[in-house]
Amino acid sequence: MTSPAIHAENLAKTYTGEGAPVTVFSGLSFEVPEGVLAAVMGPSGVGKSTLLHLVGGIDRPDAGRVEVLGSSLEDMPSRERARFRNENIGFVFQFHHLLPEFTAEENVAFPHRIAGMPEREARRRAAELLERVGLAGRGDHGARALSGGEQQRVAIARALARNPRLLLADEPTGNLDAAAAAVVFDLLRELHRERGMTTVVVTHNPEAAARCDRLFTMSREGISESSG
Amino acid sequence: MRFETSVALRYLAASRRRAHVGLIATISVAGLAVGVAALVVSLALLSGFQDRIRRQMMDRTAHLRVSPARGARLADPERVRDVLSRVPGVLRTAPAIEGRAWASDPEGVGTPLPVRFRSVSDAPPSAGEARITGALAARLHTGPGEEIRLTSARTRLSPIGPIPVAALVSVGEVMRGSALDRPGDVQVSEATARLLADAPTGAAAYEARLADPSSAEAAARQVSRALGSGYRVETWRELNGPLAFALRLEKSVIFLTVALVILVAALNIVANIALTVVEKKRDLGVFLSLGATPGSLERIYLTLGAAIGAIGTLAGLAVGVGLSVALDRFRLVPLPSDVYLLSHVPFAVHPGEVAAIAAFAFGTALAAAVLPARAAARLAPGEAVRLSR
Repeated sequence: MTSPAIHAENLAKTYTGEGAPVTVFSGLSFEVPEGVLAAVMGPSGVGKSTLLHLVGGIDRPDAGRVEVLGSSLEDMPSRERARFRNENIGFVFQFHHLLPEFTAEENVAFPHRIAGMPEREARRRAAELLERVGLAGRGDHGARALSGGEQQRVAIARALARNPRLLLADEPTGNLDAAAAAVVFDLLRELHRERGMTTVVVTHNPEAAARCDRLFTMSREGISESSG
Repeated sequence: MRFETSVALRYLAASRRRAHVGLIATISVAGLAVGVAALVVSLALLSGFQDRIRRQMMDRTAHLRVSPARGARLADPERVRDVLSRVPGVLRTAPAIEGRAWASDPEGVGTPLPVRFRSVSDAPPSAGEARITGALAARLHTGPGEEIRLTSARTRLSPIGPIPVAALVSVGEVMRGSALDRPGDVQVSEATARLLADAPTGAAAYEARLADPSSAEAAARQVSRALGSGYRVETWRELNGPLAFALRLEKSVIFLTVALVILVAALNIVANIALTVVEKKRDLGVFLSLGATPGSLERIYLTLGAAIGAIGTLAGLAVGVGLSVALDRFRLVPLPSDVYLLSHVPFAVHPGEVAAIAAFAFGTALAAAVLPARAAARLAPGEAVRLSR
């Protein structure tokens, strides 16, 4: 039997801001086997992005436990958790979150540079990845000089720079027109197959979700798996 | 180049394109540069004057002085002279004969003024001549070539009873413009001093001049070892201790006062970096999601502070040193030479002081970055990327 890439148990998260505390979810359990392309759908505000953040270890649950690739991020010291994220988890955000002061190639090279790789080698690998996502020759362009679809492809290349075993994509096509969204989603699927990683995609697009191996639906009541 | 350094430098370079951040960054760098330049020029001005006083100290004060630990006169002046003469680097030795007297007009009609007379070994006045200060000359209404009467506190017996010892001396030179002179100082020849002090032989102390005044401490140790206990051996630095302390104090006060400009500039640096932390919150969240550690984010902002500090400090040093050298070389600040005995305000740049200013300014800029850098390190990555949608 395949071991789960993600095993989340009884997760609870409440945001306390300036107003009254907002409980996003509680008692949420979720499991994704390794090597699977999973889609998470659901109305806005049910906590899809929060779930990805908890799984990726960039946010902490108020209760419950998350195991990613057999490791509990909660039990890791800060430095080790950062290294685990760098080596094993890739993030793609809805608004690409590229750094505007840097070129496409520099953005893609960041995960390597954070890992301590020399700049020249990091940029060489970044250029290869950019070529793979169809942006050969665009490495020297500033992030702002690229179209929305290109920016998201750069963001995908950056997420894959360290060859992660888990890719978490938060509405990667949510900010794109239909044509660009299709290109980006196809690219994600291709890369998922090529690299044999586990991919979780949060999406509002039922057609894209239908093309995934597993489909999870989130609501105020929790998360459940639908037939994909 | 490390990841943190390249990010920090890029943020600094890119800040010019973001009007508000660019303005604050420019103010931070300019403020620091102005503070550093002001400090360099202030200390160069002070050093210019103080160097002259120090040169006078070396020129006009005995480099070594040996006096008895107890009592008013040396018990064995010949031995002291021999020991001093054998020390390598000693150019000459001479007995120090000094005492208190009253100065008055030759007839002794006017009010006598208390003075302190002493023999000098370097360029002593001719026999029968005295060198007096400008203040004393003014109060006695006298000048070069005119005579004054020095009446000692000592007396000698005469057929009509004890009478004060007095000497008529001619004013050879009027000393002006030295911080070392007290108004009542009178320099006389050894013979006149011996007469007034009623000391035909012996001496209260022996003084020596050295070829290299900076080696005075080592020479003093050597003399102390050779003479043993019972003697006090002082260097020219110790003899001028209170004045040297006053000069150091003056410089410290000026440093601390002008350094306030740098501290104000540091507050700008805090504001600049704090603004960049807020503005780049999303980037920081992205870096954390890519595997950067909180310490790594802290280093980005410390590097930013260091870069601002380095640019501001270097610019300030260039302006300050350049200005000081130009002001001194081209004598751009003239002085009325009849009042100050100097034709221009002297500026002297001391490398040690410049290094201290650079270290202080750079250290302050770095310290200013610590607070916002720590705030960046405490950032929750999830919150950073969530709020920046």
